[in-house]
Amino acid sequence: MSDEGVNPTEAEADGGETVGGATGTTPLSGVRARWERIRERESVVIALTIVGVALFPYFLVRAPVISELLQGYQELASLILVWGIFAIGFDLLLGRTGLLSFGHAALWGAGAYAAGWLSANVVQSPLAIVAIAVLFVVALSVVLGALSLRRGGIYFAILTLAFAQMIYYMASAPLAFITGGDNGLTGVEIGPLLGSFDLGSELPSIAGTLLGTWRYAFIAAALVVSAAIILRILNSPYGIVFRAIRENERRAEFVGFNVWRYKLAAFVLSGTFAGFAGALFTIHGEYVPLSSLYWTTSGEVVIMTVLGGVGTLLGPLLGAGIYLWVEYIVSGGYPFDWIGPYWHLVLGLVFVVVVVLLPDGIWNGIKRLLRDVFWFVSLATRDPEAAKDHAVQKAKAAIAWIVSLATGIVERVIAVPRRLAALVSGGGR
Amino acid sequence: MSLLSEAVRILLNGLQTGAIYVLLAIGLSIILGTLKFVNFAHGALYVVGLYVGLLVSQETTFSQGQLAEFGFGTLGLDLGFLAALIVVPLVVFVLGIAMERFVARPFYDRPDTDQILLTFGLAIVAQQALRVLFGGNSQSFAQPEWASGAVELPLVGGFPQWRLWVIAITGLLVVLVYALIEFTDFGLTVRAGTQDAEMVQLLGIRITRPYIVVFGIGAALAGVAGVVGGPLTVVNPTVGTDVLVPAFLTVVIGGLGSIRGAVLGGLILGITQSFLIQWSLVIPALGIDYAFAPWSQVGIYAIAAVILLVRPQGLLGSEVEIS
Repeated sequence: MSDEGVNPTEAEADGGETVGGATGTTPLSGVRARWERIRERESVVIALTIVGVALFPYFLVRAPVISELLQGYQELASLILVWGIFAIGFDLLLGRTGLLSFGHAALWGAGAYAAGWLSANVVQSPLAIVAIAVLFVVALSVVLGALSLRRGGIYFAILTLAFAQMIYYMASAPLAFITGGDNGLTGVEIGPLLGSFDLGSELPSIAGTLLGTWRYAFIAAALVVSAAIILRILNSPYGIVFRAIRENERRAEFVGFNVWRYKLAAFVLSGTFAGFAGALFTIHGEYVPLSSLYWTTSGEVVIMTVLGGVGTLLGPLLGAGIYLWVEYIVSGGYPFDWIGPYWHLVLGLVFVVVVVLLPDGIWNGIKRLLRDVFWFVSLATRDPEAAKDHAVQKAKAAIAWIVSLATGIVERVIAVPRRLAALVSGGGR
Repeated sequence: MSLLSEAVRILLNGLQTGAIYVLLAIGLSIILGTLKFVNFAHGALYVVGLYVGLLVSQETTFSQGQLAEFGFGTLGLDLGFLAALIVVPLVVFVLGIAMERFVARPFYDRPDTDQILLTFGLAIVAQQALRVLFGGNSQSFAQPEWASGAVELPLVGGFPQWRLWVIAITGLLVVLVYALIEFTDFGLTVRAGTQDAEMVQLLGIRITRPYIVVFGIGAALAGVAGVVGGPLTVVNPTVGTDVLVPAFLTVVIGGLGSIRGAVLGGLILGITQSFLIQWSLVIPALGIDYAFAPWSQVGIYAIAAVILLVRPQGLLGSEVEIS
């Protein structure tokens, strides 16, 4: 479902010599080739997204066996999609343009507060709330983006973080008469969708079995729209400049693009999705906690995006799913009691491991694995002998790697007394 | 209370608040300037300093902890805090060295976003690990007995003594680090490495050795900040994140890699903060009735924003931008 191009010949070329020139086609590889051709198309990706969000709550909540394992519930399904929109919007900045913002909590929180304040004071229609909140966040992201982008690289991360903290402290004390301060914004009231569909009630017949509530349907539609817009942007010439900036900012500048303006555009676009998701978060929870502006919220979306995989559509969604599933299910109940209170620690460790070993995230890792498995299966159906050789070679390489790792560790441990002695005697180099 | 005595009090409180930012910012700044490594886990080192300091000072204060059980409770030498001031920098120095070797060094060649992500992840892990070890509840760090209570100062009147000690200790450390970087061969190597690491290596100097030490010193300063700042704040695993952002701001407005910049930036932020907290006391004399205290946290970011709009490279920073 990813839209990022994976060179389909890469895996083939990889093992080309072991095949011995045999390029016979099996039914399997025929299907695969066709799949490779169509899966880049926007319409296919959007159709798959629709199927995905339509089946997701059923498998999370109501399917036999699977959902019992996952222990999901209806509200979690929609919450995952809300954070999913936040994460795919954030990826527009981090994964596609290469800018790491630590201040997206400001935009998410601004969207959430705007939506909450509107619902309590002005209108109750979900569509109107979302639309006005998004406009507000667009204006805010232009200001924050223009300020933060005055410096590049690491400064951008620090400045976004700083300005977001400024907004957090403003909401916490001086503006408490609007935001409710530490208590959060209460009194949020969301009206029925289009004046007639109560968000909390269940959809009729089979749609109810699949999707559950109107609230989920609304949020799922928002996700599909977001994905479609993001795909359209990224596949347009405008979005390709984002990628050029990520690959080599200086070169993009020399080619003649106004890099600063494109970066600001990327910031505002991703901020818009953050605000959109924030408004949906208010519609989902009917409450805005002050912590939605705190920098841990920015951290959460960073973790989701990086964990799942930057630069893809499914990656951030997967990351959001994993994060919230761990937060709400693993931290709570039965088979995971031992993790329970340490869920944050476990997630932090997993995050560190992913950053070190798998910088492009879990979804890209799965994709690579699937590609290798597929390649191996197709090789096995064509040429079992070659497949066997390949497997043996791989196993040998793995054993050699483990042995070298072990000997390396042993050597280093043995060397410790010698190095200590050298240090003590002052004979260090 | 005269306006002058208020001003001096605001200045002293500002110096004390700024001192903690300065201690953190110098570490961040020299690590960023020389090693080009962005350390979001610097706040975690501060919290480690806080907890280790708490532990050491409790255990070595003779009237409590393990020593009391061995019968040393009556010696009356409550040196717990001094012990913490000596032990913590050593512990955190070693931690910093380990961090340079096993965390930073493998990531020097990775993009700086990866460095930020890694250290951010480590900060979370450290925070949660401390929560598991020490519990999530807030504790309080007792002031050393020899420095608790207030002193009478001219103009100001009674002033908490420990705040003066914070200023003094910070001043001493800043002078030491400044002298080390500016006037020694070690500092010369480090500064040369900042300019052109490759050239320094071609001259036959192993640049990795000073780098490790720089990282260790930066970490140790964060640890010290934890100990001296401890008695002034609550101790819980999340405070590291609350001081990290002002510390980064200090670096950014002061100018990267400049110790003088870090000091200047820290003082500006500290004085701004204490000014806004206490302004509500001054203002009634001028006939304005509005409490500015809630704006104290916002104020430091606003000041920083203004400075950056005027001088994007920081007050004492050079025009050259890294990365």
